[in-house]
Amino acid sequence: MMWILLAVASSARTTADDQAALERMARGDQAGLAEMYDRHGRLVYSLALRIVRDRGDAEDVTQDVFVQAWRQASRFDTTRGNVAAWLLTMARSRAIDLIRRRRVRPQPGADDMVMETKDASPAPDVQFEWVQRAEVIQEAMGALPLVQRLAIELAFFEGLTQAEIAEQLEVPLGTVKTRIRQGLLKLRDRLAGAGATS
Amino acid sequence: MTTEQDPFRESSGAYVLDALDPAERLAFEAHLHECEECTAEVLSLRRVSSALPYGVPEVDPPASLRDRVLAAAAETRKPSSVVPFDRHRSEPSQAQPLKARPTMWAGWIAAAAGIVVAVGVGMYAAQLSTRLDDTQQRLTDAVNRLQDAEQRLQAATRETTTVRASLALLTAPDLADLRLAGQAPAPNARARAFLSRSRGLLFAATNLPAIPNDRTYQVWFLTPGAPVSAGLLRPDAQGNATVAFDFAASVPNPTGIAVSLEPEGGVPAPTGAIYLVTQ
Repeated sequence: MMWILLAVASSARTTADDQAALERMARGDQAGLAEMYDRHGRLVYSLALRIVRDRGDAEDVTQDVFVQAWRQASRFDTTRGNVAAWLLTMARSRAIDLIRRRRVRPQPGADDMVMETKDASPAPDVQFEWVQRAEVIQEAMGALPLVQRLAIELAFFEGLTQAEIAEQLEVPLGTVKTRIRQGLLKLRDRLAGAGATS
Repeated sequence: MTTEQDPFRESSGAYVLDALDPAERLAFEAHLHECEECTAEVLSLRRVSSALPYGVPEVDPPASLRDRVLAAAAETRKPSSVVPFDRHRSEPSQAQPLKARPTMWAGWIAAAAGIVVAVGVGMYAAQLSTRLDDTQQRLTDAVNRLQDAEQRLQAATRETTTVRASLALLTAPDLADLRLAGQAPAPNARARAFLSRSRGLLFAATNLPAIPNDRTYQVWFLTPGAPVSAGLLRPDAQGNATVAFDFAASVPNPTGIAVSLEPEGGVPAPTGAIYLVTQ
């Protein structure tokens, strides 16, 4: 379980580094942004690519995320959440906006409706990611019942609503809700089980 | 556990993944203000959802992206150097009034020229309009084709998600791999069932005959007692279907799997002809 301790320790340090970088960004120092990009650019890009499945689009999303972070650096409250979670929330939100725009047939005036961009407010009140190890997450996802995993992936990575998932999988809405919740609860317990040993 | 007593609780996961529709999201948020248990659950599930991106396969962005990001940021921080864009509009018109030269002939010539110009402009406008219509038509065609392509891409994407998720099931330690053979109504039909107590049932069928709209294929767990429904199966135009089903803990260990033809929506116990059954 040593590596979990290491993961926790390194994520705590990253947060302190991020805070320093963020402060530099807030002062208009580009070196802060460069540092932030070097630390999180790969993950932001990977998440965007997983969602949009197009390298060019994933690059655009990544650029938007870091430009927005640059603009809003002074307003980010590091006591409320960690920077990586904030960047990833923005990345997911923008990437999903993009694929939803692809999915919806453009209709006059409909743009504003589908385009309701989520507020990029500093999200999850996560002080640190207690697990940032890809294999831990992948293993936990892999152990889920297939129907629960599918429902979670369609919502998280494809940006489908529960109604769309119900339609897609041809199951009642209530079943989709249950599958998502049960799946997330199982992941929570599994991940907490991994983290609790540290 | 009071979970079952709070109807809102079931929505916590969908809420965390932004999967609720807007009205339900608002109602759920209102509920959060007065329910500590739901709030606690949402917070704990948020931690899970914020960990999901870390499970994504990592891919290196192109090296050029770093420069792009820095350049774009430098651009935004600049004080507004944008040219006020309505300057063109506020500029006085260049056209001088014709009456600046009050000679009579000049007036006629100018009028004639005006007509020529007007006719010319009219013809040009008509031509432009035709070209515009044409362009618009082509644009519409292109947009339609693009949308078709994108819809196909979306369908493929969802299929990829299913397949990707299915791979995990195929590596389950308790996997059972069952083969189903077509019965009298569909001798050419075949199916495989991958069954894991912990991860569910992945069912893949081929060569299923087309059926009327008011009928459906239904998949059954055959057990020592009565068959238990796994769910419905809707093949594509080629008669193929790959579907993931729940394998509830309440279902006894099955002795086999079968597919029957049932009324639309499915039935609690099989009534129709059996199309596929484990060998």
